[in-house]
Amino acid sequence: MRFLRLYGTFIALHLKKLMEYRIDFLTGAVSFLINQITNIVFIGIIFSQIPDLDGYLFYEIIFIYGFSLVPKGIDHLLTDNLWKVAWFIVRKGDFDKYLTRPISPLAHVIMEFVQFDALGELLTGIVLVVVASVKLSISYTAGKIVLMIIAMLFGTLIFTSIKIACSAIAFKIKQSGSILQIFYMTSDFARYPVTIYNEIVKNIITYIIPFAFTAYYPASYILRGNDPVFCIGGTVVLSLILFGFSLIVWQKGISAYESAGS
Amino acid sequence: MIYVENVTKEFKKTVKNPGLAGSVKSLFHREYETVKAVDDISFEVPKGEILGFIGANGAGKSTTIKMLTGILTPTEGKVEINGQIPFKNRKKYVKEIGVVFGQRTQLWWDLPLLETFSVLKQIYQVDEEQFKTRMAFLNEVLELDDFIKSPVRTLSLGQRMRADLAASLIHNPKVLFLDEPTIGLDVAVKNNIRKAITQINEQEKTTIILTTHDLNDIETLCKRIVMIDKGKIMYDGALSEMKQQYGKYREVNMSLFQNEDYEQLHFEEDLKLGGDDLKVVRNKEKITVTFHSDKISVSDLLSYILNKTQVKDISVNDVNIEEIVCRMYGNGVSAS
Ligand SMILES: Nc1ncnc2c1ncn2[C@@H]1O[C@H](COP(=O)(O)OP(=O)(O)OP(=O)(O)O)[C@@H](O)[C@H]1O
Ligand SMILES: [Mg+2]
Repeated sequence: MRFLRLYGTFIALHLKKLMEYRIDFLTGAVSFLINQITNIVFIGIIFSQIPDLDGYLFYEIIFIYGFSLVPKGIDHLLTDNLWKVAWFIVRKGDFDKYLTRPISPLAHVIMEFVQFDALGELLTGIVLVVVASVKLSISYTAGKIVLMIIAMLFGTLIFTSIKIACSAIAFKIKQSGSILQIFYMTSDFARYPVTIYNEIVKNIITYIIPFAFTAYYPASYILRGNDPVFCIGGTVVLSLILFGFSLIVWQKGISAYESAGS
Repeated sequence: MIYVENVTKEFKKTVKNPGLAGSVKSLFHREYETVKAVDDISFEVPKGEILGFIGANGAGKSTTIKMLTGILTPTEGKVEINGQIPFKNRKKYVKEIGVVFGQRTQLWWDLPLLETFSVLKQIYQVDEEQFKTRMAFLNEVLELDDFIKSPVRTLSLGQRMRADLAASLIHNPKVLFLDEPTIGLDVAVKNNIRKAITQINEQEKTTIILTTHDLNDIETLCKRIVMIDKGKIMYDGALSEMKQQYGKYREVNMSLFQNEDYEQLHFEEDLKLGGDDLKVVRNKEKITVTFHSDKISVSDLLSYILNKTQVKDISVNDVNIEEIVCRMYGNGVSAS
């Protein structure tokens, strides 16, 4: 409750700041949009050469792609400050201030920054899912929609957990931005059906860095009616395990924090 | 109130071999070297005291403050403040302390000061009424009014420091840690900050630990000082005592009508004094003779000088604390 109010305050302040830095915000959002359009055009080009990708039609791929943007976008919107932790907040000793305030340093550092640029990503994702659903004439039931939303939220938690764990490595080695980047980039694999990858890649993105659960598996439940216990349940269970793990890494990290000489 | 017992902090530093080959090598095999930033220190601070924590650059002051505020975990030893162990019960503990690091702001760069305070009010769960009285008080002593609507990034250093001090006091902490709160400030702002510190200490009985390189801060604010050097405590006691112990030095400042007259003065041969007991420094016209007042009386020294030379101007002064501290830093005098 208290967190929500504080978060509300931070968001309100950010909206004000947004007005102040309008141009920067617009540039950010537009650059995301261009990025997404390029990706979609790329998928379009592939499909102009082949009729289907491992049995998946163009709009099914678009659906999975759009789906993947939603958890990624929500996480991006809310927890972008973790990148700064990984790149420089720890290294420069600026983490000190979070440790002298009476709220969880993790919550504090996350709440402190809202990346509105990510709205471009999030909106593109939603539009693509809707357009693909219409083109594929997917029949939705209330249950399906609820499961889809659950999958998107817990999928977000997968992104957030990986960011927490990777940025916490900075406490030990001062800077972990590149490590975070490598892990984060593997999420791009999740935009396509895992069936197109070899066993190694498939197992990695399913069980180790489970990005496949942020898009492909839940989407395949909607598209193909694949087993919801595995496709949606897997997202929930794996995200919770990963989240617990990331909190432990974070806590260990904080006690290794050395600040910076100044 | 504050107990520090045999506290040590070591930092591991990776030893980097120079050059590309060295970097590649260190990828596979890292060599560490440990640096003892704080080395087995112990002290206590009773409630309501302002303790001055001094020492040369790199002595370990900031590292100590960071352990006391729960930012760093001590490698060894025990810290207990208000009955709590800083890094263990952190969330509860930090509610009762305020922290200012003069070197870096704890405020949000883009937020106007006023909003910064209201966010902090929420973080520290200060109720509306208390917040209002507190703000009125801080406004008055720190004169925040002129810039309270400005974003932090537009504040001058002096304004920012006052803002940081105010921010650390919003929740009425029992203990206040100030790491170089007057660094880089002009005399007027320094006075303003000192006044504020004094008032807070008197009104709220706030216990304060303060580090500084400006010994005027110490003279105006602290009765007791702890001096550390290379991580070890060199002196812990009353400022007045230190002055007495090391302050038996006095100095004669003079200038002569004829500079060549200086050649007539042979302190070492004539008075059999030298080394630490008598030192002469010449800076153009100005001659400063620092001497230990147990070894030679002021009148003996003056009559010696006046006999030998034509003095244009002469005065005898106490050695200021800066000089004393400099001596201690330099010689590594240990005292208890
Ligand atoms: N985060 C860190 N990692 C490694 N070494 C550190 C770190 N912080 C401080 N040190 C080392 O510990 C020693 C004490 O530093 P500290 O910052 O406590 O000194 P200080 O007394 O505050 O000095 P100053 O007056 O210059 O601020 C120095 O040798 C410094 O290099
Ligand atoms: Mg320091």
